Amino acid sequence: MTAPEMTIPDLEINRRLTILPMQEFYTSGHRTCQGCESALVMRYMAKVAGPRTLVTGTTGCMYVANTSYNSTPWALPWAHTQLGSAGSSAVGTAAALKALMRKGKIPDERINVIAFCSDGGGGDMGLATLSAALQDTRYNLLILLYDNESYANTDIQASGMTPWGAVTAFTPSGSQMRITHHRWKKNVPALLMAGHPTGRYFANASSGFGMDLMEKVRTALDVGGPTFVQTHDPCPKGWDFDPRMSHELAILAVECGITVLWDCLEGELRYQGLTRQQVDGAVKRRPVADYLRRQGRFAHFADDDIDFFQARIDEMWEDWILPGVLRIKQTPFGPRPESGRSVPEPTEGGNHG
Amino acid sequence: MSAGAVDVTYRGVFQKNLAGVITKELVKAARREDKFGGTVARYGDSPERNGIPAKQFAVIASDMASLQVEMTKYEPDNVVVVAVMDDTLAKGIESWAWYGVRPINLNLAPGGTLLVISRQDPAALLKWIPRRPQPWTLAILPGEPSFGGLWVYNDDGTDYRTMGAIARVTDGLVSLESLIAQAAGTRDGGKREQQLREGYEAVQLHQVAAGEGAEDTYVPVQMPDWTQMREGLVVPAVEVGRTNELFMKYTTRTARPLIKFDACVKCQICYTVCPDECFIPTPEGHYDVNYDHCCGCGICAQSCPVSGCIEMVNEAVFDGNEPLHGVYERDPAAYEELRAEKLAKAGGPVPHYGIY
Repeated sequence: MTAPEMTIPDLEINRRLTILPMQEFYTSGHRTCQGCESALVMRYMAKVAGPRTLVTGTTGCMYVANTSYNSTPWALPWAHTQLGSAGSSAVGTAAALKALMRKGKIPDERINVIAFCSDGGGGDMGLATLSAALQDTRYNLLILLYDNESYANTDIQASGMTPWGAVTAFTPSGSQMRITHHRWKKNVPALLMAGHPTGRYFANASSGFGMDLMEKVRTALDVGGPTFVQTHDPCPKGWDFDPRMSHELAILAVECGITVLWDCLEGELRYQGLTRQQVDGAVKRRPVADYLRRQGRFAHFADDDIDFFQARIDEMWEDWILPGVLRIKQTPFGPRPESGRSVPEPTEGGNHG
Repeated sequence: MSAGAVDVTYRGVFQKNLAGVITKELVKAARREDKFGGTVARYGDSPERNGIPAKQFAVIASDMASLQVEMTKYEPDNVVVVAVMDDTLAKGIESWAWYGVRPINLNLAPGGTLLVISRQDPAALLKWIPRRPQPWTLAILPGEPSFGGLWVYNDDGTDYRTMGAIARVTDGLVSLESLIAQAAGTRDGGKREQQLREGYEAVQLHQVAAGEGAEDTYVPVQMPDWTQMREGLVVPAVEVGRTNELFMKYTTRTARPLIKFDACVKCQICYTVCPDECFIPTPEGHYDVNYDHCCGCGICAQSCPVSGCIEMVNEAVFDGNEPLHGVYERDPAAYEELRAEKLAKAGGPVPHYGIY
């Protein structure tokens, strides 16, 4: 079987991605819900990564919906990996490619390695392997966490990234207890960024801002080393809203300041698009009620629940030194002077890397 | 020694709770007549996807042994009623688990009843429903499909009206009296009784003769056996430029995007936001829709910046999945006429699925 003639999209690190390849490497015919934004993220990811890419995926919607029953919409080589092992599979795949290239078994060329995981597979049980992968600077790999805020494939159970108060199969709302989900959503990209000084690129994106998302995926693949991108994707099934609102809801989450578009390239934190305008004060955040009131999973919220939610979001924006990223409100230092220091890369074969 | 089953065919997730209420209440009512019953959802439909056809069954038996026999089956036999919760399902159903598109009345027992919630007349529905070798009954309960969410139930009475209609058409499987007695014990018992009687009265029955209906083109899907599958569960990838032709998603659709090509500003947003990659670029920069794969989510219509350019139109007024840009290419005026005709027939675009 010969590979079809394919042109590698000419996409270098760029901040203005205006030309997209028309080819789809994740095509029609997947068994997802109507209005599935996670499928859109897969499509964007495959489109911008191009044909020279290996993808592994952990158990979750994007595994079950895309490879069941002897058929697949993937045009890229894809392999399933166990629920918690996105990081291990990424490191293993990248290491294997490197070894094959070193031994001359395959041509020495740039092959992207992407492992995707969901909020359950990556944010909950796969966190340890993500952590290990982001420590390993010898390999080029991207871990993409698509966050639909629940274990959506198994009919919506609460995960560590389900927002506070949301109804899930584990956290129903009853007559005695209105709110049964008491955990505030964990901020995985910031958690990983703060704890992994060797990771080269971390980003938080949203499916509602496709260009921004694709720029982030491309940037991650181009800078090399261990990188991490998280996307926020509305799930019409679990969030209980009309599927046609999927895209709007993703945008609305950014407008309300719930999703924060940021990235951190080699220690340089930047905000993008609407979020940057909000940080600069050029655009005001919308009240979170606009977002919450459009979803059935928050239908039980009383006004004071919405006030609490709003207060948490306000704190995140107004009191944190890095708005929406890290909950640090005060430090004993003023701003750090520019050191101009550069850390040398370990030499090949060196054991200090 | 007998068992009969009610098959509730519905739109996944949107009507999951509705189907659950219908099957469970039927079984509870049958228990009041000293019958035995159980409910079962088809394993292949789980985990359910939004809009994708799914089935739940209520099995009612005269004795425990018959019930146990039926409950061990993947799908119960002797389906005396297929209750269809949305009339566009009558075009054929494909579970998200791969079985190909099946006729809506495939598992209907001879002499059984297909109960459809619809505003259409029997002749219109029989254009889609394949013929059977034996006569059967088409029952129509006039009404709109009731859509709800996973957490917020759409309590509009469709559940009890459907149960009333089922009591009428099953002829003794569950009586209206037991359903009323069962409903009396629940909240809003009086309202429920009224809804049950409404459904019982409103349902219209039409006898369908053997051989009447659409042509039966159903071919059971040939599953590859273990000698035909590749080693290590390897699945061939899709070639670039093609789609996954083994799974079409069109039976998920209740409304389809209809594009006014004259109004299109070629902004590419529909192409960019479609999660099912259904927009096919044409040489002049328009985007044609691949209706084989479109599941009718409506994100394109919602995201289109031009008012009235992409509109969601009730799937019931269309036959077939042919792309429509060819009609426009040949004669834009004729396409505009077709578009206006379809919109008029459907009573305008579908504004909303009825949930949030």
